[in-house]
Amino acid sequence: MTDSEKLNAALTELQAFLGERATAAPMHRMAYSRDWSPRFKDMVDLPDIVVVPHNTDEVVQIVQVALKYELPVIPFAGGTGMGGGVVAWKGGIMIETKGMNKVLEIDPDNMSVTVQAGITIWELNEHLAPYGLWLPHQPESKRACTVGASIGVDNDSTFGVRYGKILDCLTNVVVVTGRGEAVRMGHRKASFSSTGYNLMHLFVAGEGTLGVVTEATLRVVTLPKTRQVRGWVFPTLIDGARALERTLASGLSVESAHLNCRQRLHFYTHAYRQKYGREPEVPDWAESILFLSFAGDEDVVEFSLGKARQVIENEYKGELVREQEIVEGYWDSKHRLAFLPFKQKWPDSQREKKFGSADVGVPMGRLEEMYHAFLEISAKYEQQILGMTVYNESPNKVSPSISFAIFVDDSTEERVRNFFGYVREMSLKAVELEGTMSTYIGDGDRLGGFNAYEHGLSYEYMKDVKALFDPKNIMNPGKKFESRWIAPQGT
Amino acid sequence: MADYPILQEFTEEIYTCNRTRCGFCSVECPVFRVRRLETYASRGRMLAARGLLEGVLEPSAELQEVMDECLMCGYCQARCALHNMDIFASVRQELRTAGYSSPKHERTATKILEEGTLFDRPKPIRRVGTTPLYLGCAYQTKPHEVQTIVSVLEKVGIDPLISDEVCCSYIVGAVGFADEFESAQARFRQIYGPHLDGAILTVCPTCTATLHDEYNLAAKHALVAVAERLADMDLKPLDMRVTYHDPCHLGRMLGVIEEPRQILRALGIEVVEMEHHGTFSTCCGGGGGLLDVDRNLAIEVSKNRIRDAAAVGVDTIVTACPTCQPTLLRGAGRMANELGHFVDVLDLWELLDKALD
Repeated sequence: MTDSEKLNAALTELQAFLGERATAAPMHRMAYSRDWSPRFKDMVDLPDIVVVPHNTDEVVQIVQVALKYELPVIPFAGGTGMGGGVVAWKGGIMIETKGMNKVLEIDPDNMSVTVQAGITIWELNEHLAPYGLWLPHQPESKRACTVGASIGVDNDSTFGVRYGKILDCLTNVVVVTGRGEAVRMGHRKASFSSTGYNLMHLFVAGEGTLGVVTEATLRVVTLPKTRQVRGWVFPTLIDGARALERTLASGLSVESAHLNCRQRLHFYTHAYRQKYGREPEVPDWAESILFLSFAGDEDVVEFSLGKARQVIENEYKGELVREQEIVEGYWDSKHRLAFLPFKQKWPDSQREKKFGSADVGVPMGRLEEMYHAFLEISAKYEQQILGMTVYNESPNKVSPSISFAIFVDDSTEERVRNFFGYVREMSLKAVELEGTMSTYIGDGDRLGGFNAYEHGLSYEYMKDVKALFDPKNIMNPGKKFESRWIAPQGT
Repeated sequence: MADYPILQEFTEEIYTCNRTRCGFCSVECPVFRVRRLETYASRGRMLAARGLLEGVLEPSAELQEVMDECLMCGYCQARCALHNMDIFASVRQELRTAGYSSPKHERTATKILEEGTLFDRPKPIRRVGTTPLYLGCAYQTKPHEVQTIVSVLEKVGIDPLISDEVCCSYIVGAVGFADEFESAQARFRQIYGPHLDGAILTVCPTCTATLHDEYNLAAKHALVAVAERLADMDLKPLDMRVTYHDPCHLGRMLGVIEEPRQILRALGIEVVEMEHHGTFSTCCGGGGGLLDVDRNLAIEVSKNRIRDAAAVGVDTIVTACPTCQPTLLRGAGRMANELGHFVDVLDLWELLDKALD
């Protein structure tokens, strides 16, 4: 069969059980032609077919059709990924997972919820709110980002320093593997399991390369009664990180901890500038700004704030940001997603250039070195700095997951290639500093193959894992083991 | 780059959306909530627009059908810094120029352009008075509702003047007939000429927004005038618990959000807010001509709005729009079995009239 005959036959078989929810119409393919990742301005990657399944059984049938005709399968969720993870650059069948958005069970007694994986974090929390519960895994993209997407890329959470990321909430998944089988993995509603292998963990940051996550069971927590956010400025980056470490060591439960360089503040104070028509004032000596939130009962939050101030201001010379509107502007932008006047930072900030990031992770003690490398490498590749934010994503620990962000000029191919040159060199530096190339974006279509430099021999084991779950290499090919942007090290 | 002169004016905005992809417009788009396919949400429509500009897509009946399945409700634009609605109207216009437009939209626009009205009017409603009150096509077919509105206005000391009027022609422009919309505006100005220089009270949210934003007239929704007089009104309390559905044109586009709620509270009514309300309210399903081209989809949208009300535990929706109320009632009827009860949809004017008795 020719490729065209295969596609026609596959579409006919898909339409037999999906009806209009399987289409090869060009406009629908076009609507799935990119995500949020930097790429050439005129680059269009069209999937061949778009399908909208409503449940696991339909995904099983879709993958079986894909296996039969050896067509790529790409799960699409929020579409906000910055690494090209859902870009169909090998063509194939795009599975729009947001058609699977049902809440299957809310179990307040066990503080657990089971959902179809295409539900957005925002939608899920609307369902949980009447029970006084919420899923604390809160990526900034939560209005669009689904539970499945969070599992697929292991993205950041605003509240990681208290609750961790999606894996800290996840207890069970149903996945449709590249073998066309629905498999339950995990430990049902139990928090842990030491039996067998933790196969579920392979799907966290798996980017759909092993299978499609269709259902998830998550631990949820009680909505806090109150929340307070404050900011402190520091003369150096490491002072901010050490102050956070000491605050955590004091026994306080910090709900969120974001350490920004001063350039980054501009990006997060859109609402402030709209309201006051000026830049927020930060002392000239300040190199970093740490935002902390505390949440819970009012008296505990008040006490926590007082204790945090004592630690940060007395022991680490942190200076409280007196103008609370700066802090509120940050929080509007970061968590409430309330941008006035009903416009929001994303499109307005990207009229000429687009957001791009090297999302490396390094241990706490190497932060300053990594930051200086950021300044040098971005200058070398002529990248316009947007700024750095250090998220902390492991409960009660300084646990840097870092966004070294750039405004990418996508007006010429050369400049886009320069951006990936920047990502490449930042990644090498992070590994040199005992860290990792990516902490929340994933490999996408940028790091595959090149990431062997980070993993060494274990990379070979990863290939075997891939072959086990996806013997015909149909699940999101062109990711994890192949890149269209960055060549493997040494080639 | 293909030749689409109207759409090309928005090229940079379309690329800005394409390079952003934040998706805040998508999942809560009322049409996406039903279709669950990116092409039906703003973000996907923007990529389709780009496809046209770059020649990846050709004008087609399929593309026109997708573009017609937009409520033009403005939810996406409220979440964005771009001119989403102008872009989608331009796409409709370009597709029409290329020979692709809905026969139903053609008929509707032709009727308005030829007869000056969207709906057949059994008998034009007129009233002698002092304050111009523009009813619009929908209310011109609803004499009972107009009687209620006039009764309320009289009780609060307003003497409405209902004179000869012609359709504001909003839908003509919205479905891609930009040039014809210009000529329709000229006709409106001619017929409604005596009242153009002063304040005009209006009752249809869409007409209000059109007269205010497109015609640059001093159009004010009559509920705002009522809210201004609340302090002087002797109202009989109504023991009710309701949610208020903001009509898109009245709430999001004109910013009349607080006034209807002030009135409800003055009537002693407990107002429970739905998740999507005020600026971020979502459409009833009757916007943008969708009822003409895909009635089933419109009803599915209205059913979701009924679900929104049920989710906050109320069984009465109050609104203030001659399109929203009947559209929501259709959805409520079809949701009764699923919910196990009927969610009623009431008109704010009726409650006002009752409380002013």
